[in-house]
Amino acid sequence: MIKFLLKGILRDKSRSLLPIIVISLGVFLTIFMSGWMKGIFTDMVDMNAKFTTGHVKIMTRAYAENEKQIPNDLALLDADNWMQKLNTEYADVEWVQRIHFGGLIDVPDAKGETRAQGPAMGKAVDLFSENTNEPERMNITKSLVKGVMPSKSGEALISDEFAERFGVKLGDKVTIFGSTMYGSMMFQTFDVTGTISFGISMLDRGAIIVDIKDAQKALDMEDASSEILGYFKESSYDDIRADSLKADFNGKYSSIDDEYSPQMFKLTEQGILKEMLDRGENMTSIMVFIFIIAMSIVLWNTGLLGGLRRYSEYGVRLALGEEKGHIYKTIIIEAIIIGFIGSVVGTILGVGACYYLQENGIDFSAMMKNVDMMMPPVYRAIVTPDLFYVGFIPGLVAMTLGNALAGYAIYKRKTATLFKELEV
Amino acid sequence: MSIIKINNLEKQFPVGDGFFTALSDINIEVKKGEFAGLIGPSGSGKTTLLNIIGSLDTPTKGTAEVMGKSIAELSYKQSAGLRNRHIGFIFQTYNLLPVYTVFENVEFSLLLQKMSAVERKKAVMQALEWVGLTDKVDSKPSMLSGGECQRVAIARAMVKRPEIVLADEPTANLDSENSHHILRTMKKLNKELGVTFVFSTHDEKVMQYLDRIIALEDGKVLRDETQEEFAVRKNSQIYKTK
Repeated sequence: MIKFLLKGILRDKSRSLLPIIVISLGVFLTIFMSGWMKGIFTDMVDMNAKFTTGHVKIMTRAYAENEKQIPNDLALLDADNWMQKLNTEYADVEWVQRIHFGGLIDVPDAKGETRAQGPAMGKAVDLFSENTNEPERMNITKSLVKGVMPSKSGEALISDEFAERFGVKLGDKVTIFGSTMYGSMMFQTFDVTGTISFGISMLDRGAIIVDIKDAQKALDMEDASSEILGYFKESSYDDIRADSLKADFNGKYSSIDDEYSPQMFKLTEQGILKEMLDRGENMTSIMVFIFIIAMSIVLWNTGLLGGLRRYSEYGVRLALGEEKGHIYKTIIIEAIIIGFIGSVVGTILGVGACYYLQENGIDFSAMMKNVDMMMPPVYRAIVTPDLFYVGFIPGLVAMTLGNALAGYAIYKRKTATLFKELEV
Repeated sequence: MSIIKINNLEKQFPVGDGFFTALSDINIEVKKGEFAGLIGPSGSGKTTLLNIIGSLDTPTKGTAEVMGKSIAELSYKQSAGLRNRHIGFIFQTYNLLPVYTVFENVEFSLLLQKMSAVERKKAVMQALEWVGLTDKVDSKPSMLSGGECQRVAIARAMVKRPEIVLADEPTANLDSENSHHILRTMKKLNKELGVTFVFSTHDEKVMQYLDRIIALEDGKVLRDETQEEFAVRKNSQIYKTK
């Protein structure tokens, strides 16, 4: 019987073509949107993790409360000892120190007088250690526009945008004015070895990148750090793992009564990331739900039209002794076959499109010059295993549901009128 | 032996607040192997009676027994089973499934019986041989003439070797030559296989082939006569008219 039904589906284009097109399109859109949104969110999370949040982050409780103000006077002390402890107790996590600082960049002229000044957003990372992954993690090398990476103490990279605006050339000196950890005035001069552009306005505006040891010295933060970030060595971010790590660390070392005690935060609870990730998940669920409802209505109508068109066929089959239940069963089997074909086609197209966008992406950097969020400049999709069923199952369900509703009319058919109906 | 036995049958349909009586006081017995026809003008009750014999409808009063089974007492499943195994249908407009080939159209009833592929092929080829269409096995209905389509419909009705074939105006859409061809084919099958044929018709050509003619008028049996009695009466009417 299945072979008989398959022949009908393949030969009768109006029975199969429209539903297959509708399902393929719906499945394609669901997969494509899901893969693309997931890709953007994953990139965002990844970018935030690399630049600001880590997979987990340790700060003092007081620093965490005022993090936006970069209160280095509340920084974590005894940082080297903490690093040693963390590397011993949580060896499967890579731990790095970071210092953030704000201030003014002063560009002197030939006589040493101020030629230009602009706000600075400083980032101090480990640039010189033997096994440091920081330049690679933060994509610093690839983001160099001019010059080279700093190779010794007293060298810095500055934002290419800043350098262009104030005419800073490679080899020029710039001085950073700010305040030390203890509130006294700080000024430190650096040689510019290169200019950098991450393509993210928020990072590029007045950015200056220096080695962490230089920053510790300049800011009077020897053996102190704004924060210690942790990155899982063998995997990308894992919320469950981060949860257990956080619970373990905070249980051992964090104390509510001590505002200078360290506290660990996981990636998703920093800033608005959790909210955004939840929103992303919700949007995917809503999209799939809307898809099932819309497709079911469309396919119900397609099923009704098909039912009308095949009215005499069903009549003949009833007259020949086929039971209504059996006809209904064949309608459902046909729907499953058509739904399966449409879902396979839609899945191939959707996953294919996601793969293309995963490899190439679409560059929106021109439209994001004034965006104050840590957003990737190139929007990429991501191919994940769930893409193979996120559209496939709804496609199959929608087609089956639509035809199950439409096919139910067969039970209302009266055999007593068959001869009259079939005369036409 | 009676294959169809109808006693004091009455069939009413609800119309507005009342009922319309389509058939009343019908008493007919059809023996196995008969080639009988129900004739009469439109609205005389031919199709309603055919519906009841074919277990597509049930009587309001009286009884209709087909192959010893009371139609009124059959469940929906049992009546579908009766149609599937023992009753063949031939329609005025052929009603072949357009996307399937001649072979597949004829094969369909056997698929419902879950017969093996080898047995199905043998039975279908036999049925197509009866109607002279073995050379059209792979043709679609759209490639056939009206006469050929009706021959496929006969093969479809006959392939399961039913005891009874019910034909509702089978020649209404055919020209004279095709009508005679069809009727000769059905007559041959009736003789060779002993299948009982019951027609509903008002086509004069069909009447020439019938062994027994049951005339209905206003839902009642007006006459029940053999071909010879019918011919004599008709000739005398012609003679009187002249």
